[in-house]
Amino acid sequence: MSATIDVDDDSPVHPGEHHDHGPSDATYFKVFWVLVAITALEVSTYFWDVWFGESSWSLAVPLLILLMVVKFVLIASMFMHLRFDSKLLTRIFYFGLITACIVYVVALAVMNIFTDNGNPWFNDPPPEVTPSAVVTGETSNMGGMGG
Amino acid sequence: MTDVALEPMDDVEFPDDVHATSTGISNPKLAMWTYLASDCLLFGGLISTYLLYRNRPGNIPGLSGSSLRASELFNIPFTSMTSFVLLMSSLTMVLAVNSAIRKDVDRMRLWLVATAVLGGLFLGGQVYEFTEFYRYGLGFTSNVSASAFYTLTGLHGAHVAVGVLMLISAVVYAARRTLNAEAVEVLGLYWHFVDIVWVVIFAIVYLIP
Repeated sequence: MSATIDVDDDSPVHPGEHHDHGPSDATYFKVFWVLVAITALEVSTYFWDVWFGESSWSLAVPLLILLMVVKFVLIASMFMHLRFDSKLLTRIFYFGLITACIVYVVALAVMNIFTDNGNPWFNDPPPEVTPSAVVTGETSNMGGMGG
Repeated sequence: MTDVALEPMDDVEFPDDVHATSTGISNPKLAMWTYLASDCLLFGGLISTYLLYRNRPGNIPGLSGSSLRASELFNIPFTSMTSFVLLMSSLTMVLAVNSAIRKDVDRMRLWLVATAVLGGLFLGGQVYEFTEFYRYGLGFTSNVSASAFYTLTGLHGAHVAVGVLMLISAVVYAARRTLNAEAVEVLGLYWHFVDIVWVVIFAIVYLIP
């Protein structure tokens, strides 16, 4: 079949933008399989405590964060064409992303999420409260976010 | 300062790789990237909220709520499959964009339909997951942890649903031969972003204990 897409020649955007400038389909398939392999490795960490014991989590958590970042960058740079498009788009996107990271890491730090227990990654449940403590009003800050 | 004589725009011809915008980037694409950058802040807020409340049980004295947490009900093999489906939809989407660039409308339509179907499958998986959680007694208002979980994953699901609707519209427009390649590219950006957000949610919410 010899169908073609109509190009809007009256558009303020010049149609010449859409020339063959990106990777080939084969390259996209390669990137996809790399992403599948990374995802498989990520999922395998879920079973690490059974295979290697509880202590393996100390390695699994940083590894998961690293793999997540690698997948993120691969999709953004290859599938979203950031690597091949104008640098301005990269700056716009990563500005939003980095701003979000800074804002929320600071916000979570203020709420003691990294420091209020032995686990540096997450917050913990609120302290045990005895009925007598409730009566004497010691739980007045129970709704606080710091735990 | 010397005056610069401006050339009349009517006489200007743009070569193939120059755009008629001051940034050199088409306005729809620039707008989509700006929107995606702002969406990072939205999802960042919801992910942070979930992290803050994920271990907080609902049965705090003085507050009503279930002690059940979403993380206790996660079915990782199932969620891994839906993650794989969404990843596959990113591949079909990028193949649709490549077909659009090559002006191969038939293949573009095929890949767009495939992407919409995979997106629908992901949504079906999410509905199944939510239904299972509800069956086990974890509703939206069961506790703060559940509310944070449902809001985060539900908003992502809403993004996917909007993407599926846009994909269906694109298929219809392509059938009428009124879809240009740039529209497919911008739609692709949105779809890949939805995938990227899921990459983060899957790692932080589902896999990290």
